[in-house]
Amino acid sequence: MTTDPDNSDFRYPLRWRLMDGAERLLEIVWPRRFGRFTGWLLLLPALLLVGILVLGLWQMAESSLHVLDRNTFLPSEEYTLSNYGTIWQSATYFKVIWRSVQGAVWTVVFTLLLAFPFAYVLVRTPRAWVRKLLLIALFLPFFIGQVVRAYGILIVLGTSGAVNDVFGLIGVGPYRLLFNFPAVVFGLVQYMLPFAVLMLAPALTSIPQETETAASSLGANWLRSMRHVVLPMAKPGIVGASLVVMTLSLTDFAMPAMLGGGSQDFIANAIYDQFFRTADQGLGSALALLLVALGSVLVAVIIGLFGAGTLGMGEKK
Amino acid sequence: MRASPILSEVTKTAVAGQSHAVRVRDVTMDFGSGSSPAVDRASFDLEKGKFLTILGPSGSGKTTLLRMIAGFQRPTRGDITIGGKPVDAAPPHRRSVGMVFQKLALFPHMTAAENVAFPLKMRRFNPAKTPARVREFLDLVKLGDFGGRRVNELSGGQQQRVAIARALVFEPELLLLDEPLAALDRKLREEMQLEFRRIQRELGVTTINVTHDQREALVVSDDIIVMDGGIIQQHAKPVEMYRAPENLFVSSFLGVSTFIDGQVAEGGMHAADGSLLRGTPVSVGLQTGQRGRGAIRAEQIRIDQDQGGLSHCDTVLQVAIKDVIFEGERLLYTAASPILPGVDFQIYHHDPEAFDLYEVGQQVWIGWKAGDLKVFKAAD
Repeated sequence: MTTDPDNSDFRYPLRWRLMDGAERLLEIVWPRRFGRFTGWLLLLPALLLVGILVLGLWQMAESSLHVLDRNTFLPSEEYTLSNYGTIWQSATYFKVIWRSVQGAVWTVVFTLLLAFPFAYVLVRTPRAWVRKLLLIALFLPFFIGQVVRAYGILIVLGTSGAVNDVFGLIGVGPYRLLFNFPAVVFGLVQYMLPFAVLMLAPALTSIPQETETAASSLGANWLRSMRHVVLPMAKPGIVGASLVVMTLSLTDFAMPAMLGGGSQDFIANAIYDQFFRTADQGLGSALALLLVALGSVLVAVIIGLFGAGTLGMGEKK
Repeated sequence: MRASPILSEVTKTAVAGQSHAVRVRDVTMDFGSGSSPAVDRASFDLEKGKFLTILGPSGSGKTTLLRMIAGFQRPTRGDITIGGKPVDAAPPHRRSVGMVFQKLALFPHMTAAENVAFPLKMRRFNPAKTPARVREFLDLVKLGDFGGRRVNELSGGQQQRVAIARALVFEPELLLLDEPLAALDRKLREEMQLEFRRIQRELGVTTINVTHDQREALVVSDDIIVMDGGIIQQHAKPVEMYRAPENLFVSSFLGVSTFIDGQVAEGGMHAADGSLLRGTPVSVGLQTGQRGRGAIRAEQIRIDQDQGGLSHCDTVLQVAIKDVIFEGERLLYTAASPILPGVDFQIYHHDPEAFDLYEVGQQVWIGWKAGDLKVFKAAD
């Protein structure tokens, strides 16, 4: 039995018809015979993005090879490595670089120590309201910019801030809690925590609850089950979170600037000073490239130690 | 010499306590919130070295009961004793219980041998003796040469074997199996069922298995408990469970049966037209005139072209064939009788010679013995 399609009451859903229309339009704009170039087309936005980045790096590399002429305040014509020499010989820049690396490492350590339990409870709690509360706590900071948060920390940790008020109640202090290295790390940890939790939560979710149950039935108490089962299985997430926190902290600007009070500059602050205060583009570019190199080396070391497969990308064979 | 009655009583209890590897008393799991308990006053004893299967549909409470024995959940009420020791307050890692999980839960970051060594390490087994022990148990499950393989390099059946070795290597007093075979294809599942039985007998380890697969329960077990709605319906040996179900649920859950509603009568039950179907009352307190439900298994109904071929039967009916299903080793007929409207008889027929016996629409005779039609109280 056949039905006349024109007399039938049946109509495809609106969304299907819209998709059909879109497909017809696509056939005009990008005909099927272009099919084998479609992959490249989809890659185009990424290529643009990386292309601009590479172009910028190339230009910075170029300008890092010219010193600033102090008479004309223009970059010199001839190519020279003296900007790198200046950094190499400067005890100040060495201190700034060393401080940045130390700051990044400490931030990774403290952030992971705090983020792991947070992510674990977030993933494992049987109570829906606890998970909701933790999720709100996780995403709320994203709505508040880094500068505003740093300013908040300035108020809370200030000499007449809430923390020193509490010290006052028990008869100690006030202490100078701001404008030192721990204050910067504190700010960075506060800033990085949500990123780390977001990287860890999927890794922990992918560990079946039954695996932990099995460990306990095989004789492992909670601590040993953590050490021998959960931590090794969560390694991809831990490595990923470390990489993100490490690179973001190493290149951070706002926290050292605001919570360090000028005495705790990281590399990004030094770069800023060269570009916008002394207007020495060459030295600024050299510092920026150094930061790129330093970050790349650190990432390479971490990936080399733990393997790229641990990032949860690519198939393990 | 006459022992004092009190002393002999105490001795008897002590002996009984020793031979019972597991003792479950009035164990209840109530998740609250007004729903009926997941497990309701379950009690049973399990002798040392025996293989018990808890059989039931999903949601029957069988897994909850198993998890309480393992220590993953604490009963709302009731007591559990393993090896003579009450374990109510003991966390899982302090119980001498090995468990094979539904999804196996092997550790993917370890090799097969490391998985098997894990419980030994956690239970502080002598490190010098660990390699030999691991080897011994890998051999037991026929994986002697696969110790160095990672879990994802093993086939499904091999992973099952690693999970068994891991659960047994520390010589627990009790082995629990939480439907580990459910995900396997039929051939492998039946092979592993026999493997479980072989290993269990070789080691003599007391075992509790949970499944919804009635064939598995009948094949592997010394004892079967059928659960439904959180309540233990029957606890019996496989043959007894199959041949003498105590209630309608057990009767319908095991095997293929035809159910007939009618009035309970002396020596059977009355069909709608008043004729007597010979049967045997089973439910306690079943009275003549009450509404009842008869159950008869597909293999207990005989089928023949002539009434004369069924002279050994107590009840004989003429029926019309409605459907024939060829199942390979047997035929399954569906047939209906005019005096029993709404009843479709399910009849297994084994005939090693005939290609096709009866056709749809054909009038044939069926019959059964009075002992085979079990009459229960009608379900409310």
